[in-house]
Amino acid sequence: MMNRYSGGIPSLWKAWGLAATMGIAYTASAQVIKGKVLDETNLGLPGASVVVAAQGTGGTTDNGGNFAVTVRPADNLVVEIRYLGYTTQKRTVSVAKGQTVDLGTIKLAPEQNNLDEVVVVGYGVQRRREVTGSIVKLDAKKLDDMPTPSFESAIQGKAAGVQVITGSGVAGSGSLIRVRGVASVSSGGDPLYVVDGIPITQDYFITGNGGAFNNNPLASLNPNDIENIEILKDAASTSIYGSRGANGVILITTKRGKGDKLTWNFSTRLGTADPTRRPEMLNSSEWLQLYKEAWTNDGKVGVPELPANLTWEEAQATNTDWVDQTITTGFKQRYDLSVQKATKKYNVYGGVSYDLNDSYLRGNSYERLSGRVNGDYKFSDKLSLGLGTSLARGRNNRVDNAWSGGLGAAMSTALPIYPIYNPDGTFWLDAGANNNPVAVRELKTWRVQELRSISNASLTYNPNKLLTLKASGAYDYMNLVEDVFEPGSFSNQATSGTATRTPRHVRNWNANATAAYLHRLDSSNVFTYLVGTELQSYYRFREAFSTGNGTTSNSIQDATGTFYQDDAVRNDNPFDTIIPEERYTFASWFGRVNYAYQDKYLAQLVLRADGSSKFGPNKRIGFFPSLSAGWIMSEEDFLRPVQWLNYLKLKASIGYTGNAAFPGDQWRGTWGRGTVGYNGAPILYPINYENPNLQWENSRVIDFGVEFGMFRDRVTGEIAYYDRFSDQILLSISVPRSTGFSNYWDNVAEIVNRGFEFSIKTRNLVGDLGWTTEFNIASNYNELLSIGGYSADAVGGGTNDTRVVVGEPVGTNYLVRFSHVDPENGRPVYLDLNGNPTYEWTPDNRVPVGDVLPDAVGGINNTFTYGGFDFSFLFAFVIGGDIYDSSSKRQLGVMSLGDGLWNSTPHIYDRWQQPGDQSKYPKLTTLNSELGSTTPWINTNLWLHDGSYLRLRNVQLGYNLPTETVNRWKLDRMRVYVVATNLLTFTKFPGLDPEIARDFENATDRNMSPNITYLTAPQERTFSLGIDISF
Amino acid sequence: MKSLRFPFVVFAGLALSSCENFLDVPPQGVLLEQDALQTPEDHEELLNSCYDVAANTYNGRLQNLFELLSDNLAAPNNNSDYNEVYNRNMLFFNSTIGGTYGEPYIIIYRSNTLIERISGSGLTPERQTSMSGEAHFLRGMAHFELVRGWAQPFGFTSDNSHAGIQIKTTSEPVLGGRNSVAEVYNQVLADLLRAESELPDNNGVYATKSAAQALLAKVYFQMNDYAKAAEYVDKVIATGLYALEDSTDRFLQNVVSSEAIFSTISRFEDQRSGTLGGNYRSDLSNANPTLRASLDFYNTYGLDTTDLRSRWLELRNAGQPNQYVAVTKFNKDYFNIPVLHLTDIKLIRAESLGRLNQNLATAIQDINDIRERAYGNNSRNLNGGVGAATVVEAARYERRIEMLGEGDRVQDLKRLGALGEITEIRNAPWNCPGMVLQFPIVEQTDLFELNETGGCN
Repeated sequence: MMNRYSGGIPSLWKAWGLAATMGIAYTASAQVIKGKVLDETNLGLPGASVVVAAQGTGGTTDNGGNFAVTVRPADNLVVEIRYLGYTTQKRTVSVAKGQTVDLGTIKLAPEQNNLDEVVVVGYGVQRRREVTGSIVKLDAKKLDDMPTPSFESAIQGKAAGVQVITGSGVAGSGSLIRVRGVASVSSGGDPLYVVDGIPITQDYFITGNGGAFNNNPLASLNPNDIENIEILKDAASTSIYGSRGANGVILITTKRGKGDKLTWNFSTRLGTADPTRRPEMLNSSEWLQLYKEAWTNDGKVGVPELPANLTWEEAQATNTDWVDQTITTGFKQRYDLSVQKATKKYNVYGGVSYDLNDSYLRGNSYERLSGRVNGDYKFSDKLSLGLGTSLARGRNNRVDNAWSGGLGAAMSTALPIYPIYNPDGTFWLDAGANNNPVAVRELKTWRVQELRSISNASLTYNPNKLLTLKASGAYDYMNLVEDVFEPGSFSNQATSGTATRTPRHVRNWNANATAAYLHRLDSSNVFTYLVGTELQSYYRFREAFSTGNGTTSNSIQDATGTFYQDDAVRNDNPFDTIIPEERYTFASWFGRVNYAYQDKYLAQLVLRADGSSKFGPNKRIGFFPSLSAGWIMSEEDFLRPVQWLNYLKLKASIGYTGNAAFPGDQWRGTWGRGTVGYNGAPILYPINYENPNLQWENSRVIDFGVEFGMFRDRVTGEIAYYDRFSDQILLSISVPRSTGFSNYWDNVAEIVNRGFEFSIKTRNLVGDLGWTTEFNIASNYNELLSIGGYSADAVGGGTNDTRVVVGEPVGTNYLVRFSHVDPENGRPVYLDLNGNPTYEWTPDNRVPVGDVLPDAVGGINNTFTYGGFDFSFLFAFVIGGDIYDSSSKRQLGVMSLGDGLWNSTPHIYDRWQQPGDQSKYPKLTTLNSELGSTTPWINTNLWLHDGSYLRLRNVQLGYNLPTETVNRWKLDRMRVYVVATNLLTFTKFPGLDPEIARDFENATDRNMSPNITYLTAPQERTFSLGIDISF
Repeated sequence: MKSLRFPFVVFAGLALSSCENFLDVPPQGVLLEQDALQTPEDHEELLNSCYDVAANTYNGRLQNLFELLSDNLAAPNNNSDYNEVYNRNMLFFNSTIGGTYGEPYIIIYRSNTLIERISGSGLTPERQTSMSGEAHFLRGMAHFELVRGWAQPFGFTSDNSHAGIQIKTTSEPVLGGRNSVAEVYNQVLADLLRAESELPDNNGVYATKSAAQALLAKVYFQMNDYAKAAEYVDKVIATGLYALEDSTDRFLQNVVSSEAIFSTISRFEDQRSGTLGGNYRSDLSNANPTLRASLDFYNTYGLDTTDLRSRWLELRNAGQPNQYVAVTKFNKDYFNIPVLHLTDIKLIRAESLGRLNQNLATAIQDINDIRERAYGNNSRNLNGGVGAATVVEAARYERRIEMLGEGDRVQDLKRLGALGEITEIRNAPWNCPGMVLQFPIVEQTDLFELNETGGCN
């Protein structure tokens, strides 16, 4: 990213050069021009250049934005105030001998079209105006303006075409991000995350779905270390990432030192977390009454049979509010301290951070302690070295949720008639430990601790001004240790308890070398060339200990606490065995040619070749070309008379990108060996069929875009249309069991995504009262064109709530249609395939009735500034898409003791009770057959809801204290703010929260089952107070 | 342009630097196709893995599904997959059925691989022969269980042309359709007869000639071919290798029962009896077993306390809404499972001889051997002079109680259905669609039709 074939970085160096010369010219009795430079928020702007070109002198502003430049006496001296990314201001002054001229405050406005803004692209940077691809850039301010479980969640509503679903209110939960729809079924549909050049480990399933929670590999990244992110969306920008670019690429750039004075920054944010909506469940007497009604409806007499051998009287005497017992107000705190400095020779940034995020789930928190050091050193004009390293410790104190217990149990099987304690004060476990979430929380210990370090080093050599050679290496190390302790009483065992420790390691390194060459053919024709090669290697393994009889284990049956609590257990069971889990490599070559003619006609050609151990021998290497062009029409003479239109660029691209986010070695025919397989003797057995043709998923992307600036950039925006056709889509096919196997990876499906994106930013008021509005919306049409002849049920995937149906979107709700409740008898009436009513439910009558993908997503943000105050609020919205409330089929379904009883939500009161009743839900019953099937909890579209919503995502009020005030406290600047998230939600969804990414079993589930809720914890609503100080 | 030479040399070097090696990352902890099944020991281990899967199949999974279709059990508690089976209206999503269905085919795939590659195994010719016998035994047994579970029984149509299951005799991954029940039985018999000819008399806990013969007896019995059934039982008993247990319990921990002709082995480390123990077990505190005997079964066998087997049944919470009949037969942490045993084949012989009205003395002795063990004395013995019908009736009575939980009852009833001796099983036609297990949905292809839906209601 340090390749210097752009205009941006050299001009910065030039400014520093000028600044250095100025110090020498300063003499005691001279003439001085002084003043103060402010940014758009009226804060002093440190490091701005003050240039007096006529005299070859200048200076820079200090941390308060103040400057004083010594000049020779002169009339009409032009003073330029420049700062990268801001519009240069000029002042003309006359200076008499010995006079000090005060220019007062000079406010710099950001360059609104950002044409010279430096944009990080793959393996380099480009000026914004040169970019022919579709890239969204978000700076630190936009990423860290709100408390979120993980940084990527803050992207929601801010980038056109990027759908973000925050996982849930569980601490540390990850988000689901989809760039321009979804084009994968069984392989990962998430964008590629690249931190300072290395594609990082982004496996959500390292710890599976234990406790209904997927480990979030991004949670250990400290948002405060991030300078900005770029989201690459089309083939022109992603094909340089070859077989891994098809789902978009998110480039994360961490902070480097800035400003010539050593600057310290301290920030803290303290806040609270509550659920966006508190689950409402029935109390004991309400539930008993309904259960009795179900019993009576079935013609049964006497006292209804209760679970756990409870008598009716005992049940009536208990009323436990399990929701109250599992949620509380969480407290969040974060402290960041960083320091930075830059000189002509070097720059350095260092930061430490501590973040303790208690969620509203009792006993659940995510704690992150992290540090980062980044620096660059110039040995000479030709040679420079860049280094960066981070170390983070994430500690997730886990609780069960959703199907696994905790709040999930409170919303389901933990009935209000169950007591927490026995009369003797011990926990009541008669209905199983899982139905006493308090006991589980108190007695079970569950901690996942992650150590993560992402480091990189690069050497840049510029033999001349046109050629840049660069070699980089990076290492991403992750150590994830999961510790669980469960007392023996949970499983009726006499032992004191079971301790399990699962240590995992991921070693992920890459190395690349690039050469960039700027080739000015003549003043009109400019070429830049980039060639490069890259290697990446990934290795994940687990540790276990030998049990002595030839097997290994991660569990000890007789422990008094977790491995970190029980010294004896830890010392007696050294982890001496390495169990490899996944290993793969990539070797790549790439090249890029950019051509600009008269700075208004642009063209770019990219080619990447990717080889990977993941691909079968017949498909070892894939080629990913893209071609794009741009035309800056506003530079044309015929548009110059159009005064209101100051910038117009057309761009178009076509290219191929791939997706290789599937597990390694799936193409191999492999066998396994068990040392004590059967009868104490070893076994040898086949695991996989070989598939030598297994390859990446392929996307052909066509993109058209228009960028515009109007009314001197008071209005700027972009419109884009894309068409992405993807084939060779991987399915983890559930093959007929009669093959002797259950799963097989094959490239069989075809998917199309196409859509429009529109984003606009208007600066409505620019005076003392500033008002800026940003709006974006993106539509996406998704269709599965083929699944290679397999049936809708052929894709193996975890909870698998949706299906693959040709002609429908990925993640189609394939359900039996519910028609109405028969007013005569309260039975549900379904529709058969021909639309005829029937009491009988059978999966043969399933049809596509909806899908989980939204039609459009977007956001609207308004920012007001006045004096030192700023106020902003962001609405995010989702239009279309269906939510399947898989939990309500049980909360509002059969009350069967044999199949498991659930507590109900108050929606149950809209039920049939007597002949003639018009009701939404059928009669209460204890018999599955009364609802049309012997199977309990059948799926129908009665539980399918419109998923549209509008959410007040973020409201923030900030105040920058006046510089004079903070200077008195020896500070450079200080800002205090309050921020609230998820304050209001407008939706027709009757459940808890319309923003749903449930716990997933695997990548297929992640692609197909967003918007499916199964006791999923609602998002959190937070209120926070923050302070930022620099000194 | 001299300066350009340097980078290109660097890149050319990097590009050519043994990229193929870098991309060839053999996975660790697994064997690759080309490295597996090379040595004689590898073949022994592959064979052992077939037994391994058999142990997973017979750990209760198959027996429970069969038992739920019979009239031995009451509605299961807290298990919706089992409930579907009990209610005889199974969805093709039922993962308990689907998972169980897959296991025999894993045995079949591995047996086929072994049969195809045995000649290159490097084993001695004698071992090649006996190994082939074991592979054919396992393949035949797997097909037999599948066709009994997932298709209407032998005799459902007069020529047995009705849809059976798919026969697999090659490891090639070809999709196919269902073979007829006649074809499947022919394949099963062919495999078992070959196994009989190739297997040794003694083979540790693994398949023996007697095992093949006992299974042949069961297959012929299921086909109502009594002469053949009795003939094969005679062969097994003539070996003198097997003796009835003194107690009524043949599900023993750490020892193989003396009456077991073929067992799957369950050890403390691997607990291959969990699906029986886990679902029936009724002796733990707060026991709330999933599988319980039917009240009808209790009334038939539980009231006569002079029968030691009545202790397998306990009526709990009598008179309460939550009354149920606990089964105590499997109240152990783990135990070996006698898949083929002497009690079973003695009762096969008794009924067969009764139906043939031949050699009734042997039949009566077989029944009396069982009865003397059950009652601890000869008070309930059949008299030497009873007629064939009494012998058949007695064999059938003993069979039901002795084989409780072993998945035998429903096959027995279907056999009678095919004979026309009964018309209903648990108040539904003996041959209604819900009396066969449903295939998992993934079996469905253009060539393969699932079983009829709609159950028995």
